[in-house]
Amino acid sequence: MKVFITDGTVEAFFTAVFDAYTESNCIISSDRQIQLTLDSQTVCVDSDMQKYQRVLSAVENYDEYAADDLLLALRSCNPQKEQIAFDYIKELLRTRHPIRKRLSLPEVIALNNVLYKVTGETHRLKGLLRFMENADGILYAPYSPDNNITDILMRHFAERLKCERFVIHDLKRKIAGMYDGKNWIIGYADQAEICLSADECTFVNLWKKYYRAVNIEERPHEKQMKGSMPVRYWKFLPEKQ
Amino acid sequence: MIDENKLKILTESAKYDVSCSSSGSNRANKAGGIGNGSVGGICHSFTPDGRCISLLKILMSNDCVYDCEYCPNRCSIDVPRARLTPDEICELVINFYKRNYIEWLFLSSAVFESPNRTMELLCETVEKLRNVYNFNGYIHLKGIPHADGGIVMKAAKTVDRMSYNVELPSEQSLKLLAPQKTKQSLLLPMKSLSQAIEYDKQNKIRRGKVLPAGQTTQMIIGASPEPDGQILKLTEALYLNMNLRRVYYSSYVPVVQSNKLPAVGAGLLREHRLYQADWLIRFYGFNVNEICDENENLSPDFDPKCAWALRNMHLFPVEINTAPLETLLRVPGIGAKSAYRITEARRFAKLDFDNLAKMRIVLKRARHFITCKGKFYGSDSISQVRSSLLIAGANDENEQLSMFSEPSTALSALTGEI
Repeated sequence: MKVFITDGTVEAFFTAVFDAYTESNCIISSDRQIQLTLDSQTVCVDSDMQKYQRVLSAVENYDEYAADDLLLALRSCNPQKEQIAFDYIKELLRTRHPIRKRLSLPEVIALNNVLYKVTGETHRLKGLLRFMENADGILYAPYSPDNNITDILMRHFAERLKCERFVIHDLKRKIAGMYDGKNWIIGYADQAEICLSADECTFVNLWKKYYRAVNIEERPHEKQMKGSMPVRYWKFLPEKQ
Repeated sequence: MIDENKLKILTESAKYDVSCSSSGSNRANKAGGIGNGSVGGICHSFTPDGRCISLLKILMSNDCVYDCEYCPNRCSIDVPRARLTPDEICELVINFYKRNYIEWLFLSSAVFESPNRTMELLCETVEKLRNVYNFNGYIHLKGIPHADGGIVMKAAKTVDRMSYNVELPSEQSLKLLAPQKTKQSLLLPMKSLSQAIEYDKQNKIRRGKVLPAGQTTQMIIGASPEPDGQILKLTEALYLNMNLRRVYYSSYVPVVQSNKLPAVGAGLLREHRLYQADWLIRFYGFNVNEICDENENLSPDFDPKCAWALRNMHLFPVEINTAPLETLLRVPGIGAKSAYRITEARRFAKLDFDNLAKMRIVLKRARHFITCKGKFYGSDSISQVRSSLLIAGANDENEQLSMFSEPSTALSALTGEI
């Protein structure tokens, strides 16, 4: 069995799909710690823009929305995401029609489960991300999401806080999105030193006060709270400190 | 800058308002402004009582001239009073919004000085937010009964959603518990707002629409003797005649001592059942007569759909591969999402029981009411169905859904099912 190891980029994945498509029994993964079987033979894949384009256009040829779904799935933290996306592409190319609505196919179910987690976390973090203001009026939001969704959040907040300047920092992947009031970029960012503005502390305290005041103590339901706002996000929420 | 204690007083006075949704408005960000609407709504935090914080819920003042029995801010009670100026509110909202603490503002107020004066100040605040601070986010404004129609309409053009609370499910209770508010003072402005919304809709007005996210209302459950059937009847009438988006129920919590009010709260289960029934009316094509008789209460043991299905066992089981959408929606345990998944998937392949399980359709209740490719997987007799549904319901009360949850052995021993 051949195991195609990619570097985790989208281009490398589609190149690997091109190479692996004719193999009868193979796996694509970006996971360096993957458990190999006795007969497995690893192949390291280097991105090839031509192969990438050919696979992408084949996918788009049969379903114009499939590429978007696949790109979204590849942001997931699921170690089998490449294999799930690969299976989906194989099924799509075999059927030669959009398969997104064939909801009982195992390939579609698997992909949808991955997508559900990614879009779910994106939606959740649109609410749970917290900005702090630094002395220059720039907003800074550190967070460590399960999936790689910084650029989706950048799009959302660039629309919403059009005239502000802000930074969204993914501490886990060491990347940050930066918006200067007109355009945004994503880049490498290891650590950040923040000098908070004079008002920041006041508003954090007001927010904490508000959070405590709005709770109705007579009807406790902590389980519901934790279900909607998992504990792993709490370390970046000022009201939970 | 707003004072901490003022914020505390005015938040604690506002917290019993239930509505906190921010969905239904897709207001865009204007050039040079801040904020936009999000159609799906966004929750920003959750309090230990399990409710979400989406909007900054706050009163402008809690210094009320009215004397409603159930209200912690009524004029005859001795509590600390506070009032905010429009600028204080605007500053707080902008700064919270920038830090992504809130989705926007839910502004309400006790009636101070006069209803018109209160409504004018509320209106001034929201207009300031929109025009001076250039705010394009979601605003929910509470309507003040007895206020002048002109001011209300001016406010309605500025905000996304307005609500007049009907407070109690019948006119008699309203007279008894909130004597200064009349049925007319609540329903007439609601009607005129709904006509304004209807006018915009018929004339296809796009810009400057009145209340893009519509109207809602709220009533207290359990402070007065009305049965669930009557409450639901009123709810249905409100949806039909006033075009409301939501009716919120708030189960009565005894925060105020009074001999006109019951000493114990109504409990969360009753509220939960009413919401379930409310959903059935809005999204599942049920009408109230099917769910509950006018003088009855909803069953605490079964959810309203289960209870309906148990009364109508002759309609079941239905074949999953052929039943129309309306019928699928009436199967207990199958919701709008599951019904959609089934109708899409069966266009391409016949579905069996395993397919359904893999498609994440919850079969705990549904298996008693469906056949897959003609095969039935449920219990045979209605008493067995009853007891296993009881177990399914009891599990819901005790725990969140988990992959590994098993029906509790104690309960299955009680009901005789192993």
